[in-house]
Amino acid sequence: MLDFECRLKKYRLLKDLTQEQLAAQVGVRRETIMRLEKAQYNPSLKLAIDISRVVEAPIEEIFVFK
Amino acid sequence: MKKRTKLTICLGVICALLVAISSWYTIAYNNSRFIVPMDLSEYVFKVQDLPMIISGVFLALYVVYLVVLLLRYIMTNRRRELTLQSTRTINPKLGFLGLLGFAGFLGFWTYSVDKTIFPFVFFLFFGFFGFFYEGKMSNTFIDERYKENKMKAQSVANKTSLSIIFLAILILGQGKLMDSLEYTLIALVIVVALSLALEIFLSEYLLYHYDNDEQFDESEE
Repeated sequence: MLDFECRLKKYRLLKDLTQEQLAAQVGVRRETIMRLEKAQYNPSLKLAIDISRVVEAPIEEIFVFK
Repeated sequence: MKKRTKLTICLGVICALLVAISSWYTIAYNNSRFIVPMDLSEYVFKVQDLPMIISGVFLALYVVYLVVLLLRYIMTNRRRELTLQSTRTINPKLGFLGLLGFAGFLGFWTYSVDKTIFPFVFFLFFGFFGFFYEGKMSNTFIDERYKENKMKAQSVANKTSLSIIFLAILILGQGKLMDSLEYTLIALVIVVALSLALEIFLSEYLLYHYDNDEQFDESEE
């Protein structure tokens, strides 16, 4: 099984966004962003694209499958 | 109070009064016809029957009105749910309604008295314990993780409930429980009612746990 690594926290902090702000911008709950950052939740393609647009980083850089 | 609610309550009170008055009349002046069991195949109309017939018709119309109201409410609610942004707000204390499930045990008493098995259906109300968890999830923003968890919870609840019903039908379907078809029917009613209650409860319980269970610090990082 593939290992899922999420580097969202790094890119979110680079954009100086709080979890709450990012959650509001991509239309999810803050808890969902928390779980994403802990790699405990696999986002849908749409959410991944929305996040990548907000933090201005490529999807494959944020969500890594090893 | 809304106009329609007032109207519904007024109509209900009028119907109850009509039934009460006509029942008193038939007990006092009409040999309790329509109250004591009677053979309708040999029924002959009498003018004194009119109060009971009229109140019966009003009661039937009122029940139809209630059913129509209920159906309309369900349809409007379903449409509203599709556009909802967050879950409905309900009080977790409504979970106490699950205690009504214990009324199912009345079935053992009614069966021994007059062979009535209907009260066993009340075991269904155990499902209302799920309101406790639904209440705890009140006003939750519906995002994709919530939808995913809800589908997962419903799927597990459905599978569990259907597996129990499947096994019960396989075993009880042979109709040999204590060599009595009646006991088999009772056992089947109980198992189906409890399985459905379990499904209603499990879907809310699992949704709550899937959504909240992962243990970690929820403070802002």
